[in-house]
Amino acid sequence: MTVTKIVEIPLVLEIPIGPQHPALHEPLLLKVYADGEEVVRVDINTGYNHRGVEKLCEKNTFYRDIFIAGRVCGICNTVHANCFVRALERILDLEPSPRAKYLRVLAMELERIHSHMLINAVMAEILGFDTLFMLIMRDREMVMKAKEILTGNRVLADYMIVSGVRRDIDETKRDRLLSILDKVEKRIKYYRKLFEEDATINLRLRDVGVIKDVDASRYALVGPPARGSGIKIDARASDKYDAYDEIPFNVIVRKEGDSWARMMVRWDEALESVSMSRYVLEHLPRDSNAVPDERRLPRRFPPGETFTRAEAPRGELTYYVLSDGKPKPYRVKIRTPSFNNIINGGFAYIGYTIADLPAILVSYDPCISCMERAIVIDLRNNKKMYVSLKDLVVGGRK
Amino acid sequence: MKPSLIKEVLRNLFSKPATIQYPREQTIIEPDFRGRHYADLMKCIGCSLCSIECPANAIKMVKIPEEYPAPKKNPRKIYPVIDYFKCVYCYRCVAVCPTRAYIVTNNYRLASFKRSTSEKLSLETLKKAG
Repeated sequence: MTVTKIVEIPLVLEIPIGPQHPALHEPLLLKVYADGEEVVRVDINTGYNHRGVEKLCEKNTFYRDIFIAGRVCGICNTVHANCFVRALERILDLEPSPRAKYLRVLAMELERIHSHMLINAVMAEILGFDTLFMLIMRDREMVMKAKEILTGNRVLADYMIVSGVRRDIDETKRDRLLSILDKVEKRIKYYRKLFEEDATINLRLRDVGVIKDVDASRYALVGPPARGSGIKIDARASDKYDAYDEIPFNVIVRKEGDSWARMMVRWDEALESVSMSRYVLEHLPRDSNAVPDERRLPRRFPPGETFTRAEAPRGELTYYVLSDGKPKPYRVKIRTPSFNNIINGGFAYIGYTIADLPAILVSYDPCISCMERAIVIDLRNNKKMYVSLKDLVVGGRK
Repeated sequence: MKPSLIKEVLRNLFSKPATIQYPREQTIIEPDFRGRHYADLMKCIGCSLCSIECPANAIKMVKIPEEYPAPKKNPRKIYPVIDYFKCVYCYRCVAVCPTRAYIVTNNYRLASFKRSTSEKLSLETLKKAG
């Protein structure tokens, strides 16, 4: 009998996870190569959510760009707007008043609290703990209310403007914000304890997706994923922009480096943000006007270039703005924290099971709409080219 | 001692629901929430600054219809019409207006089947005065 058919069993199975998948809330394709249950390789494929925000910024005036920058990412919109506004202030050589600086910090810290609560809730949902998801989301509403009182909208604050903020708070609003912070702090402490001691969460997250401190710095991870691996990196502490030089706070660092450590860093940071917000409300300077008259702001931007960074809830966010003296910016380059964390973070999945994959991905806190950028690759030469930022900006328009 | 959710769940079983029964019960909203806004044509001078500054291109400058009396300080007889479906409610138009002509409300119930613009609301301000 001659053999006519051979059944080949591949050693490695290719499983596409995403772009649309119940575990992911945003479109991202993880091409997983698995040997049985064990993940041996992960290819990260992006490009499902590209919106051309940088080009849109070049086509609009500087002041319109402040609101476009705020819409790069829904959940960290004040940080995006703040980073862009500070870039404009450097070009214009303006300085906001001390009260405006404090209010900016308050808006950004409130945003950090609700962003960290959201990702912890999503983590609970991914682990199949839907009750906890509902409870955290219910208590997150209080922070959204606080943001509404401060900025006039629950999510998209549109709070930053060149040389100040767009709204001020009075005594009654201050007292309401303080009472909300008291309630939120109690709940965050409870959830932190739950994440520390609950059996389900510990079994699913401890020793899963371990990132060594060497790897975290080699792959240039930023934000809580780096701080969860013992790397003390925080743009708030190193740059001391706005009022961060006057407000006392600790940079939370954990040594474990697993998914659980990253989530605990987020809870501790949320508690730190509550105390910072309280400090801001109690020590708000009264001497100066925080809200500039938007009708009298300078309309002409001198030629110049700036590079600013801010600590978004997901890590370090940088903006590069180049002005050539015309009403529109010549180039706006945005690098979001998820760009580093998700695209470089493929190594952390290797060696764990397929079921661990969503938990590791969520522990990175992915924000896909932030990070989609166009990259030009020369396929003919198949060469890696390193181009400096300045050359990239000048590009073909020399 | 380990914290368990059972206590939390039991407490929530007998407490008021966190959700709001929306159409029957109104959501409590701040008085200075950024909601529907429109131009007061008695103050508007037709300078088009709001239309130029709008980041969403939601504001168009339109001629005031013949049957409405156009104020003297509006020589070009044009007024801003906001497309509420395009508007992102950043209130940049409210802030840049040289005559503070915008009327702001905290109305957030803006869903509709038909195209909704500020045309009617703005023209009504003119009628009332005239």
